[in-house]
Amino acid sequence: MSDSPPIDSVTLEVTRNAAAAVCEEMNANLIRTGYSPNIKERRDCSCALFDADAEMIAQAENMPVHLGSMPFSVRAAIDRFPRESLDPGDAILLNDPFYGGAHLPDLTLVTPVYHDGELIAFTANRAHHADVGGSHAGSVSADSTEIYQEGLRIPPVKLFEGGDPNDAVFEMILSNVRTPNERRGDLRAQEAANETGRRRFGELADRYGAAKLGVALEEIKNYSERRMRSEIESLPDGTYSFADVLDDDGAGNVDLPIEVALTIDGDEILVDFTGSADQTAGPVNAVFAVTASATYYAVRCVTDPEIPPNHGCYRPITIDAPEKSIVNPDPPAAVVGGNLETSQRVTDVVLGAFADVVPEKVVAGSQGTMNNVTFGGEDPRSNEPYAFYETQGGGFGGRAGKDGLDGVHVHMSNTMNTPAEVLETAYPLRVARYELREDSGGAGEFRGGLGLRRDITVRDHTASFSLLADRQTHRPYGLLGGTDGESGSAVRIDPDGGTERLPQKSTHSLRPGTTVSIRTPGAGGYGDPAARSKAAIERDLRTEKLSIEQARDAYGDVVINEITGSDTNSVNNGGQSDE
Amino acid sequence: MTDSDIRVGVDIGGTFTDLVTISDGTLDVTKTSSTPAAPEDGVTDGLEKTREKTGVQFDAVDFFAHGTTVATNAVLEEEWADTALVTTGGFRDVLEIGRQARPDIYDFQTEKPATVVPRNHRYEIPERLDERGDVSTPLDEAAARDVAARLVDADISSVAISLLFSYENDVHERRIKEILQAEGVDASFSLSSEVLPEIREYERTLTTALNAALKPVMDRYLGSLETEIADLGIRPDLEIMQSNGGIITADIARTRPVNTLLSGPAAGVQGASYVAGLAGIENLITMDMGGTSCDVSLVEGGDPMVATDVEVGEYPVNVPMIDIHTVGAGGGSIAWIDDGDALRVGPRSAGAEPGPICYGRGGTSPTITDAQLLLGRLNPDAFLSDALSVDVDRVEEIFERELAGPLGKSVEGAAQGVLDVANASMERALRVVSVERGYDPREFGLVAFGGAGPLHATTLAAELDIPRVLIPRTAGVLSALGLLISDILYDYSTSRVRNWESVDPSSLQATFDEFVAQGREQLENENLAESQMRFERSVDLRYAGQSFELSVPVPDGELDSQTKATIRDRFHTTHRQRYGHAYDDEPIELVTLRTRARGLVETPNLRHDTTTGDTADAITEERPVHFDGEVRDTRVYRREQLPAAGSFTGPAIVEGAESTVVVRPEQSVEVDEYGSLIVEVQS
Repeated sequence: MSDSPPIDSVTLEVTRNAAAAVCEEMNANLIRTGYSPNIKERRDCSCALFDADAEMIAQAENMPVHLGSMPFSVRAAIDRFPRESLDPGDAILLNDPFYGGAHLPDLTLVTPVYHDGELIAFTANRAHHADVGGSHAGSVSADSTEIYQEGLRIPPVKLFEGGDPNDAVFEMILSNVRTPNERRGDLRAQEAANETGRRRFGELADRYGAAKLGVALEEIKNYSERRMRSEIESLPDGTYSFADVLDDDGAGNVDLPIEVALTIDGDEILVDFTGSADQTAGPVNAVFAVTASATYYAVRCVTDPEIPPNHGCYRPITIDAPEKSIVNPDPPAAVVGGNLETSQRVTDVVLGAFADVVPEKVVAGSQGTMNNVTFGGEDPRSNEPYAFYETQGGGFGGRAGKDGLDGVHVHMSNTMNTPAEVLETAYPLRVARYELREDSGGAGEFRGGLGLRRDITVRDHTASFSLLADRQTHRPYGLLGGTDGESGSAVRIDPDGGTERLPQKSTHSLRPGTTVSIRTPGAGGYGDPAARSKAAIERDLRTEKLSIEQARDAYGDVVINEITGSDTNSVNNGGQSDE
Repeated sequence: MTDSDIRVGVDIGGTFTDLVTISDGTLDVTKTSSTPAAPEDGVTDGLEKTREKTGVQFDAVDFFAHGTTVATNAVLEEEWADTALVTTGGFRDVLEIGRQARPDIYDFQTEKPATVVPRNHRYEIPERLDERGDVSTPLDEAAARDVAARLVDADISSVAISLLFSYENDVHERRIKEILQAEGVDASFSLSSEVLPEIREYERTLTTALNAALKPVMDRYLGSLETEIADLGIRPDLEIMQSNGGIITADIARTRPVNTLLSGPAAGVQGASYVAGLAGIENLITMDMGGTSCDVSLVEGGDPMVATDVEVGEYPVNVPMIDIHTVGAGGGSIAWIDDGDALRVGPRSAGAEPGPICYGRGGTSPTITDAQLLLGRLNPDAFLSDALSVDVDRVEEIFERELAGPLGKSVEGAAQGVLDVANASMERALRVVSVERGYDPREFGLVAFGGAGPLHATTLAAELDIPRVLIPRTAGVLSALGLLISDILYDYSTSRVRNWESVDPSSLQATFDEFVAQGREQLENENLAESQMRFERSVDLRYAGQSFELSVPVPDGELDSQTKATIRDRFHTTHRQRYGHAYDDEPIELVTLRTRARGLVETPNLRHDTTTGDTADAITEERPVHFDGEVRDTRVYRREQLPAAGSFTGPAIVEGAESTVVVRPEQSVEVDEYGSLIVEVQS
C-alpha cells in the first residue's frame, strides 16, 4: 500500500473519470436504442470497459448481478479468439453459462478496441433478451432440468467480422428465437453501444497516448485494490458463518442449503461455500460467475460502495465454491434461476455472515427473490407472437437506523417495472392491481420493507405462463431481534372467481380472463420490536401499512393502546386486505 | 413596444435577488439580499433601491416578469400543501412504488424521495379505460361520492386525479371532479389529463400530485407579491418564467406551478442565449458555475434544448424543461486525498460559510478557489470587493500540509492538480449535454457565467476544441435579463401510441388544430396580435418496440401522406445523429403529439456600451500566473475600463466586479459593443 504509484494522483483521477464516462455513455446509448422491454424500460443491461489483458477497468451496471460476472465473458471471448485471431471491426457474442455467460437470456457482446493497429482494450455489454428460444416463451423456464431446454446456447462466436455482420450467425440465432425482430433490434443496439465505447476510448488514446493510457489503466486497478484492502484491513479477523436455504428447485427437491464461511485475514477475505447443496435437477444452479457476482456485491456494500468497481477490487477476495454444487455446477445443469434466485440467497448468506462482524452495515433479510413472471402466446390484436417477461420488487430489509424500503428490487436486481400503460399497449394483458402488501414487513426497531401485490389478467387469448420465485416457504430473516418478513405467494384467479395457489416454480396455460396474482415477500425487521418508537408505529397505522391486529401482535397491546388512546381499532380506517 | 417602455425583471436566487430594468434601452442592475422567509420582501427592497438610484417611475412600468424558486424550494424542503390523490381502483400505490428501483444500488442507507401524498390520503375509484381510451369498466359513481365524503372529513385543500389511460380519454377524470365538487369538496383540482396527458402512469401521477401539492403554495406567494408590487404603483399583470424558458401569466402559473420548478435557471439560460445572440453566436453551451455546483446546458439555433425527463430533487417531473445538467463542482468544492491516494475534488463544498480558506471566515479545507489564488489567477487584494481578508500564507500552509506534501508536489503543482481534476468533471458534464446527445462541441460557443465560470471556461474550451468563449458583462444578472427577452410559451401535448404508417394524417391534423386553437385563445387573452403568434408542432417518434422517443418537428401546412413521409425521414436522420445509427426499413411508432404556442416578445434595443479609451489604460498590473506548470508574466485588466471594440491577447486576467476571467496564452480577446468578452480559443 506504500508503493508510490507510477502515475501521479491527478492523472489517475482524470483518466478514471474518463473511463467511467465511456461506460456511462455506452449505457445511455444501449437503453435508448434497445427493443426489449428488459433493456429499455427495465434496464436489465450493463456496459463495461476492459484493458488489453481482459481485466475490468470500469463498469456502468444497472444490475448488480452483472457486476462480477462480465469479466468471465471477456476472458472466455479471448480464450476462444486469441488476439492474433482478432481484427478491428470484430465483435464476439456469447451467452453460454459454462463458457463466459451467466444464464442464456443474457447475451454479452465483446468488441476489441485498436489504436494504431494495436489491441489496447475491449468494450463489452450484456443485455437480458426477452426470448432466446427453449421450451417456454421468455426462456425463463421453471421446469427445465437440463440447459438444453433453456434456450439457444451460444459459445463465443464472431457476430461481426471486420465491421460486417456475420449473416450466418445472425440467421442461426434469429431462427431459434420466438421474436426475431426484437432480437435483431437488441443485437444492433448492443453493437452500437460497443461502437460508441470503442470510439470514445479511441479518443482517450489519441489524447493521452496509448502507452500512458495503459499505465493509467493499470493504476486505476491498483487504486481500487488499495482502497479495498484498506477497508478489509479495518475488519476484525476471524471466521464467520451463516446458512439459509432455497425453498425448492421446482423438480421436487426442497430446502436446499446455501452455506458460507467467511474468513477475514488481514487485508484479504476468503469466502467458502462448502456445505451448500449439490447441483440439483431444477433450474436453480448458479454458475461460478454468478456466485462470484453475488459475493462481490455483498462485500462491496459492507465495505465502501464508493470504491470504483474494477478488477482491482476483487484481487483481495478469494471464493471457494465446491465443484458440482448448486453454487458451481457442471454442464448440463439447468441454470436460468441460478442467476435470478440463487444469487439472492448467496447474497443473503454472505450478508448474514457479515452481520456478526459489522451489524451496523448490513440489512435484515430482504425479499430474497426476483419473482420472475413470463407470459407468452399470440397477440389477438395483431396475430403476432409475443413473450413478456418481468420481475417484481418486494421488501428491502430493516437497517441500522432506518426502516427497510417498501416495494423495491433488492440486492442482485434493480430493474424498473414496466408501466401498466406500456404493458397493456404492447401486450394482450391487463394489470388489474398493483399495490403494497399491508402487514408484510417484519417487526423490529426498524421494520422490514413491504412486499408488493401485482395482478395480471390475460385478455382474449390463451397464454402460457411461467413463474420462477422463492421465499414462499421460508421467510426473509429478521436480525438482532427483528422478526421475519412475510413470505410470498402466487394465486390463480379464474374468470368465475375460483382461486388456486400456484407452486412457486411452475408453468401453466391460462384461459382468457384468468388473472395471476403475485404477492411478493416482505423483508425482515432489524432490532428489538420493543425498541420501536411509538411515532413510527403510529405512522405505519395511519398510513395503512400496518393493521391494528398485526400491530398488537408485534408490539403489544400496551403500546398500541397508548398510541390509539383506547383499545379500539380507531386508527386504521380501512386499508385493503390481502385476501 | 417602443424604446420608452420600462421593463422590469426580478430573479430570486438563494443568496441574491437580482433586479434588472430596461428603460429607454438602458440597462440597470440592482442586487439585494434574498429574504427566504418572505421572498416578496426582497423584491420590494430591490425595487425601492432601483427607484432611489435611477428615479424610475413605477407607474410607467409596462412589463414585469419574475423568476421564482418558490416551487423548487417547496419540493426540496417538502413544504407543500396536504393533498389527496384519486386513482383507478387497484392503483393508489403507483405514486409510492414508483418504478420499483432503489435510488442507489450499493448504498444500504439509500432512501426514496418522500411520497408526495401519504397512503391514507390516496383514494381508489373503480373504473377502467383500455389502451385506446375506450371504457372497459364504467365509472363507479357511488364510490366517487364515498370518496367525496371522506375528502370533506379530511379537510383537504388540493386534490390530484390521475387515472390509467387518461391521456387517451379524460372522461372519467372530468366526471370525478364534477362529482367531488357537487358533493361539497372545496379544493383546487389537478387532473392528469390536463397537467401531463402522456403515457406512463407513475410519471404522470407524480407530476400531477406535485402540481396539486404546490398550487396552494404558489397561489399564496403570488398573491402577496401581486399585492406588494401593486402597492408600489406597478400596474401590469405579473408574468412568470416557466422551466421551459417561456413566460406565462401569474394566473396560469397558479394552475401549473409544476411548470415553474426550474424557473430561475431557465431564465439564466435564456439570458445567456440572448447575450450570445447579440454577438452572433446561435449555437452555444452555457456554463453557470457558482460556489457549490456547475449547471450546463445546450442551445441550438437560439433555442435551449428542452427535455421531458428531467429530475427535480429526485422526482422525475416530465413536463418540458430546459435540459440543465448539474455537477457538484463549484468554487467552494473541497480537494482531498482519498485512502487510495487519488486526488479528489468535491462533492463536499465549503459553500459560502465558512467558504474557501482565502475568504478568511474560518475555512480550513483547500478548495478550487484557493487553488486559483495560489496560481495567481485571483487577486489576493481585490478579487472580492467586500473586504474579506485573504491570507495567502495560510492557504499555502494548508495546501502544503493537506495536498502538496502527501502528493510529493510543489504547492503550485498541487493547486494545478486540483484544477485538472475539477476540470475533468466539468468536461464530463459538457460532454453529456453535447457529445452524448449527438452534438459536436466544435460547432458551439461556450458562454460562461456565475462567480467561478469565467475562471475555467477558456481551459475547458481548449480541451473540447470549442472555438470561442463568451463572457457576458452582466453575467451575474443573466437570469433577470432573461426574463425580459423571453417569449410567451404554452406547451400542449397528448400521447397517441400508434403505428406511424397507419395513422390517418387528418386525425393528426385534428389534434394539432385543437392545440393551435387553445394556444391562439390563450395568446389572444394576453392581447397578442396574430402576427406575434407562432405555433410549432412536433411529434415524438421511435422505432416500434423501442421505448425512448425523439421529437421531430412537423412541417407547416396541412398534414398529408407527403408530410408524413418527410417526418419519417427526419426521424431517421435525427436517430442517426443522436445514436450513430438508424434503420430506414424498420416500422416507426407515434407516441406523443406536441404543439408549442409562442407569443413573440419584441426584444429591447439595448444601448451599445459607450466605454471609450485605450485598452492599455485598463491594465492595472502585471503579475506572475501559472499556466500548466509554467509561470508567465501576465497583464491584468480592469473589466469596467475595457473599451468597446478593444482587443488584447493572452495570457491575461480580467478582473470584474462579478467574476475574474482567465485568458490562456495564445488566446485572443475582443470586447463587443455590448461589453461581452469574446475569447478566440484557437489562434
